[in-house]
Amino acid sequence: MNMKLTPPILLITLFTTVMSAQAHDPKEHMKDAEKPDCSAMKDMDHSKMDMDDPVMQAMMKKCMKDMHHGKDKSESDSDHAHDDNNSEDEHAERQH
Amino acid sequence: MLSISAFLKSLLLIVTAAVLAGGLFIYSGFYPMGADTQHHPITYWLLETLREKSIARAAKNIQVPADLDSSDRLLSGGADYNDMCASCHLKPGKTESDFTIGLYPSPPNLSVSADEHKHSHDARSAGDETIKRQFWIIKHGIKASGMPAWGPSHSDDRIWNMVAFLQRLPSLSKDQYQILTARGDTEESH
Repeated sequence: MNMKLTPPILLITLFTTVMSAQAHDPKEHMKDAEKPDCSAMKDMDHSKMDMDDPVMQAMMKKCMKDMHHGKDKSESDSDHAHDDNNSEDEHAERQH
Repeated sequence: MLSISAFLKSLLLIVTAAVLAGGLFIYSGFYPMGADTQHHPITYWLLETLREKSIARAAKNIQVPADLDSSDRLLSGGADYNDMCASCHLKPGKTESDFTIGLYPSPPNLSVSADEHKHSHDARSAGDETIKRQFWIIKHGIKASGMPAWGPSHSDDRIWNMVAFLQRLPSLSKDQYQILTARGDTEESH
């Protein structure tokens, strides 16, 4: 009788131990993890930011990708505009 | 003048009567146990003094890490604070929750400075003492207060990250708090 009960008890104990060990794993919180809203950072005056401040450094780390995307987009837009200007110049030169 | 034996007999009688009266009170069930009935100010002072003296003694020899001000600690501690603590200890822009209203004693609002939340321990401890106290409380919890011990399920390093975040929390805006505590990472897809 006791031998019959031992495997289920062991399994329940093992399962409970594993579940309690995982309960506070940060990965558990990732399922419905909120994304950082970096739009506030884009509007900030970067020249006035104190880059030695750990809070600012942490925010920069968190929003790095967003900042780069914003920067890349604006750079590509300006490159595009620059290209357009160049092509207009070339076009004008050709007309001469 | 009372002899020594008469004095001892009287003392024994008083102590026995006090123990019996205490036992009767406990077993009578007349003590109001609800969290919506406040302690008598003397009881509150006794419990608070007991708590603060005990924590100060226990936390005295804790070593504070030198890198408590690092941005990585803020990011890790911020996410944990938001998941584990903010419902009771609030966050920028929030002044109360069901827990702060219903718990007794009410948990301190850690999103404001010590002067603003007016918990008496802050007048007694400053600087490193506050930091050690916060670490000890997060790790061990406080009996019969609703504050759990996070030590059994969290490493010391992870608790220090939360302590690091607490040092900056009162100065954070709502936007800063949101960015620092969001677990989702915009860099993950890189």
